[in-house]
Amino acid sequence: MIIDVTVNGVPRHLKSRSGDRLVDMLRKELKLLSLSPDCLQGRCGKCLVFMDGRIVHSCLVPAFKARATTILTFEAIAKNPEVKDIEKAFQITQTQPCPFCRSAKIMAIFDLLSRIPLPGEEDILEALDMVSCPCSDPLGLIQAVKLAAELRNKRKFSREA
Amino acid sequence: MKLSEVFFPQDVAEILELLRKNPDILLLAGGSAIVGSQASRTISLPEQVASIAKVQELRKTVRTEQFLEMGACTTFTGILSLAPTSLPEPLGSVIKAIGNRGLRNIATIGGNLCCENRFLDLWPFLSCMEAQVEFRSPSGSRWASVGHLCGEDNRPLIPKASILSRVRIPLYNYDFIYYRKLGNSLYPSSDSAMFVCMANIARDKVEDFRLVFSGDKAFRLKDKEMSISGKKTSTPRREIRGFVAEYKKAFEEMGLFDPRPFTALLEDVFGRLFL
Repeated sequence: MIIDVTVNGVPRHLKSRSGDRLVDMLRKELKLLSLSPDCLQGRCGKCLVFMDGRIVHSCLVPAFKARATTILTFEAIAKNPEVKDIEKAFQITQTQPCPFCRSAKIMAIFDLLSRIPLPGEEDILEALDMVSCPCSDPLGLIQAVKLAAELRNKRKFSREA
Repeated sequence: MKLSEVFFPQDVAEILELLRKNPDILLLAGGSAIVGSQASRTISLPEQVASIAKVQELRKTVRTEQFLEMGACTTFTGILSLAPTSLPEPLGSVIKAIGNRGLRNIATIGGNLCCENRFLDLWPFLSCMEAQVEFRSPSGSRWASVGHLCGEDNRPLIPKASILSRVRIPLYNYDFIYYRKLGNSLYPSSDSAMFVCMANIARDKVEDFRLVFSGDKAFRLKDKEMSISGKKTSTPRREIRGFVAEYKKAFEEMGLFDPRPFTALLEDVFGRLFL
């Protein structure tokens, strides 16, 4: 079947079979290789995408459910200045997620900061619960997210002023 | 790979028409329970599937003074985004403990109640709260207690050829609410279960006592609940130990898979409820 979907701002008509997962359709049809179908259970977070503005595990979504939706993947999010804040915060706090989960953690933090500009520890842990890679120290990650929030707010407010 | 025919109904009338033509069609809202429980790369689906998540009639929320009514395709995130005054307090906590944010963005209340293999987290809680569900079929609609989604064999009993369209939760406050989730899996496994107990306390007496334990099977003893309702909170310890033993025995007879965590929970709940 053909699925009409907007991916990263571009309307697409993607081929899919009824049993395909969204992650597989996006990888196969559009070569979006930031996505990886790893655990297939919504644990590892390597397939996180924004579907109609909400972050979801694309391994848990049948491809046909993407019909008439808007999908954003890391490839589009990466151009956002918010992501630069997150990467800068990783650098300053010396909290570098491993290459396997880096984009997933950025997606989870990006989602968090767009909902809660000044997140508390509980909010941060809840957001990072979507990515189960144990590569980085949770305390370091909390520090990095708080710093990313600070950098983001400073950039936004200084621009507005 | 077996291919399925996928339908995208726009409203409930179209869903009912699909059900009339094929009573075995799979109605898929979030799909997280069905997709997440499959380890293979390709999802196995029946011959016909209807994607119903975007049907607006199934996503409406209404709050009155007596109850909160939600369309079955309301996602958990949608429920959590309701104003705190609209949401019965412990319901929010139970939902927050389900999976992670990514999962809660797609999983729906209807999907959680209609799982055919086992009872998921919301069933015991809504059963204690005496929530109602509306089922619509080509022959009409009917409301039933959430408790009716449990068959005589204590396993889930989901009516065939019908759609769970609405869930109505009474906004009734309980003085005593106790719930524990057993097992750490994001998805329910053989070791996961929910234990829920609710009661009111008036004039030093326990009233409206409800206790449900569910996993693969569900356990609730309405006659025992009636016998405990009306007991004084200062009931002697010996008698309370008797309640625990009776519950334990009755549930073992009903085929409780592992009574050990259940016994500890029973002792804890009765210890807290009775001073």
